[in-house]
Amino acid sequence: MSVVSRPWSRLSLAGKIILPLIAVFVALNLVIVLGWVSGILPWLVQAILDALGDNVGILRFLIAATIILVITVPVAFMNIFFEMKLIAFVNLRVGPNRIGPWGTLASVVHGLKVLAKEDFTPTGADVPAFTLAPAVVYLAAVMTLLVVPFAPGLYGYDMDIGLLYFFAVGGVGVVGLMMAGWSSYNKYSLLGGLRAAASLISYELPLILSVMGIVMITGTLNLNQIVTAQEGSFLDWFLFRQPLGALIFFIAATAEASRTPFDLTEADSEIVAGFATEYSGMRFGFFFFAEYVNMFILSAMTAVLFLGGWNAPFDIDPLLSAVGITTPVSVAFDPASLGVGLLWLVLLAPALIIGLLTAVIWMLKSSWSIVVSLVVAFLLFNVIVVGALVTFAAIDLEWVIGLFWFIGKTVALILFFVLMRATLPRVRIDQLMGFAWKWLVPAALLNIFVTAGAIVILDQMGKTL
Amino acid sequence: MRTDRVPGLGIAKGLMFAFTQVFKPKVTIQYPEVVNDISPRNRGRLILLYDEAGTLKCETCFQCAAACPIECIDMGGVDTRNRYHVHWGPAEQYAERREESALRRSGRTVPDATFEPFARIDLGPVDAILARHGHRPRAALRIMDDVQAEYGYLPVAALQHIAHQTGAWYSELYGIATSYPHLRFETPGSHVVAICRCAQCTVAGGGRVLAAFREHLGTDIGGLSPDGAVRLESTDCRGESAGVPRVTVDGNVLPTVNATDAATIAAALRATVPQGQAA
Amino acid sequence: MTGEPRVRSLDDPSIMVDSPATIIDAVPPYPPRTEREAEFYSLKDGEMFVNLGPQHPSTHGVLRVVIKIDGEQVVDLDPVLGYLHRGVEKICENGDWHHAISNCDPLEYIASMFSEAMPVLVAEKLLDLEVPRRADYIRVLAWELNRISSHALFIGWLALDLGGITPILYGFIERDEIVEMLAALTGQKLLFNYLRIGGVNGDLNHEFLSRLGDWMSRAGKRIEESSKLMNENEIFVGRTRGLGVLTREAALRTCVTGPPLRATGIPYDVRRAHPYSVYPELEFDIPTRTEGDSYARYLLHLDEIRESIRIIDQVLHQMPDGPVMAKLPRLLRVPPGRAWVAFESPRGQYGAYGISDGSDQPFRFRIHDPSYFTLQAVGQLVPGHLVADTMAIMASLDPIMGGIDK
Repeated sequence: MSVVSRPWSRLSLAGKIILPLIAVFVALNLVIVLGWVSGILPWLVQAILDALGDNVGILRFLIAATIILVITVPVAFMNIFFEMKLIAFVNLRVGPNRIGPWGTLASVVHGLKVLAKEDFTPTGADVPAFTLAPAVVYLAAVMTLLVVPFAPGLYGYDMDIGLLYFFAVGGVGVVGLMMAGWSSYNKYSLLGGLRAAASLISYELPLILSVMGIVMITGTLNLNQIVTAQEGSFLDWFLFRQPLGALIFFIAATAEASRTPFDLTEADSEIVAGFATEYSGMRFGFFFFAEYVNMFILSAMTAVLFLGGWNAPFDIDPLLSAVGITTPVSVAFDPASLGVGLLWLVLLAPALIIGLLTAVIWMLKSSWSIVVSLVVAFLLFNVIVVGALVTFAAIDLEWVIGLFWFIGKTVALILFFVLMRATLPRVRIDQLMGFAWKWLVPAALLNIFVTAGAIVILDQMGKTL
Repeated sequence: MRTDRVPGLGIAKGLMFAFTQVFKPKVTIQYPEVVNDISPRNRGRLILLYDEAGTLKCETCFQCAAACPIECIDMGGVDTRNRYHVHWGPAEQYAERREESALRRSGRTVPDATFEPFARIDLGPVDAILARHGHRPRAALRIMDDVQAEYGYLPVAALQHIAHQTGAWYSELYGIATSYPHLRFETPGSHVVAICRCAQCTVAGGGRVLAAFREHLGTDIGGLSPDGAVRLESTDCRGESAGVPRVTVDGNVLPTVNATDAATIAAALRATVPQGQAA
Repeated sequence: MTGEPRVRSLDDPSIMVDSPATIIDAVPPYPPRTEREAEFYSLKDGEMFVNLGPQHPSTHGVLRVVIKIDGEQVVDLDPVLGYLHRGVEKICENGDWHHAISNCDPLEYIASMFSEAMPVLVAEKLLDLEVPRRADYIRVLAWELNRISSHALFIGWLALDLGGITPILYGFIERDEIVEMLAALTGQKLLFNYLRIGGVNGDLNHEFLSRLGDWMSRAGKRIEESSKLMNENEIFVGRTRGLGVLTREAALRTCVTGPPLRATGIPYDVRRAHPYSVYPELEFDIPTRTEGDSYARYLLHLDEIRESIRIIDQVLHQMPDGPVMAKLPRLLRVPPGRAWVAFESPRGQYGAYGISDGSDQPFRFRIHDPSYFTLQAVGQLVPGHLVADTMAIMASLDPIMGGIDK
């Protein structure tokens, strides 16, 4: 193919990218024009839209699943950043502050570093298990996100057995850790893998038993319904109706996420890195991210189950109607009725407002030039407009405010996880398992017992729990 | 509440304490904006000390170099009657010696009196050139271009002066100069005759060759002939002379040479350069 | 060149590159030389060797510990030393008596005033030299400051090996302040090279005294704060109480000295038992505890910090005037003889036996480092506990490999 290869090799790098793009563009245009003219294209488009319209559920699911898969990485980055900064602050240090503003890009750089490392398989390792273990752990973490309700209407899939699905899929992660520990052909990894199996399986039981109280009260495993059952003020949250269950769930969640004080699966002062000793590069990155995604997921579940999910702690509607705003806010006007005024609104008003702000800023801050004040005014304008839109959306669209509360609660719990890591030493394996089997399981059973009794008694009295 | 009575209270107290620590002032020193002070007694700074009158305290008595248990002190000096220089310690340790090493490694012959400024020249034009370029090391190439335009070549003394004034290392300047073919270190049209003066070469006849060169070139080792055509240098045979004194002309080793050959060569070399053209 | 090549290429199939935990085969390739070795290197059913190898985040220096575990429980333990051996005793023989000071500095690098004191005290004993009183007081001041900074670090390590990452950073804040102080006095921050035969190198200066005065107003506060994170923490107490109990007989049998010995109830402190320097004139107690477990050792270190602060206070009040260095000839020839000196370092009784043959070079130094013996105690304390406790016990005994391997 020297007819192609010689002129191809003469191209610069930019040429090699642009020329194929041009070719693709031209071909695509040809296809569209031909299709349109011959009538095939409209028919095809209509068929696709029909199919989508019939299967809106599947489409929605696919989009939701993609979004979930994609947001796990930024979420892990955010968790890593919180951890680095908060532990530094507890230690009276500053943490990363040079990379990115206030060090925010530091975790991104960590992710890139992990990508750039050499990826090898140790001699003697069981290659299929070794390769698949990180994927299993990561997938188990990510798949559980499918049922978590972020906001009213914002969920992956509304399952009636959502809670059961969550625990079932979350438990698959243990298999991945065992695979990693066994296949590494390394005694440290073996110790780490066995510890992981012992600790994670021990804490599955208190984790599940502690939420049985909630299931009894709400009568459903559907997470959306559990959240709606906590509507009203913050006194309706299950934290106050099931305090013992919340405590047990939180402790068991700490163990499930392998966070200090229960992080002996990767106790790096004893067994180097536990099951992940032999992993490097992106394989280790998967374990690394999976731990932080797990932390996010378990905080999210605690928020959903016990802290009211996307419910605000107090009802803001009475406040708003006092001001005179009724929800949903409807701005009933037809943009076309403005006529030429619309042109003014879209093209000239922003420019005028930015110009006005520039003038004000330039006059007030003498050290800035016109250009700098122009940039600042532009940014300020953007901030004001976005702020107004967000406030409007928050008041009008209930999912925005719900998402805000959900994220707030999750982040507060994540910060608490990180605070625990900063202050507490870790427990030994026998202490960990003793605590789980001798204290948490009986406490969880006690919780179920008392909740059941309370439900029956209150039912007799005519009230509900 | 006693912490051993209430389970979990110790942990809770610890968490509360850690939470309050988040808001305390941080102890990190933000280097390089804030630099920590070095104690005046710190022995890690490698400088020579001066007394109140401004005289250097070091007398080059070599006691420190002799006493150092790990032999990390390198010293050099000239003896009090300026006859020879002494060096003690591993080479290429500190900046001064490093510059000289760069010169040695460059392949150029190094005159005997290494600590004398090479071929003293008038450095006034160099100062003017440096002032024109603002003493910036980044303008090294332009500075050296101007120096070459001024002198016809890059004298070593000029390069050393540039190094001292701009802060760039001599070896950096040398490196830049060798990257460009139009910059040269030899006077245009001049030749270099180098002869080894070790015992083996001298016994093999090098002493008479050297005397002949001295006479016919009218200069001694390290100097330029009066018409600037030929420079006489010293070289090192590294023990490989094998019965023939090692004499190189412009870097090419002559297979055999004796005193009469020396006269011929000297005359030939001086004739190749037209009078008045050598710088 | 005849015979086998000395270096085999890595493609040689007889070299199988294994994973780190198995690359150094724990079983030595020669038949066992002693009964103990035979007993250790024979495996029963279900046991395996794990190499807490020389590169490990928690061994206090380069130390290889071979443990024989049955599941999670440690059955037997064998420390392998020598990875940090630098031949200090031999190097001292090649140099002057003065060179020995800077050669012995890195032995106990955390608190190096004590390791410097070794050749200094030996030479002074052989010379029968009277050190000026001011120099003696300055030495005690420096020693106690070093003790505090070493104990601050100990507390940090103990917490770090148990998983708590905060107390060590608080310990470093405390240590930073002390070390900056000592840098103002001696010029260096880690290996001070400050003690001299006959005194110290340089008098107290204004910067040191102002930093010291500043520090005394909040001495030990950071350590008290970090003890808030540890003393009452159920997890910490659960990990250390009742762990690694060193009985009095075992301690005496293994020649353990220092805080591990005092934690078993025996109030042996060289500063009181065989007084040296100006310690007889100072008032301080010897803290002891009776339980002998890791928690007792930890609390004992906290007590010792308080006692050291008391000593520093008294020293500052009683400091006499005078020279800081005795008059010595330039070429120091130490009269022939043998001398044994012992003093109390943060880890126990630090001893040195010096032999001089009358020249200006020492003939022989034999260094008795306390960490060496506490490390032997680890081998007796750990079996029966879990793998995780290996690190906890070793951290609570506070060994420093620099001194162990010399």
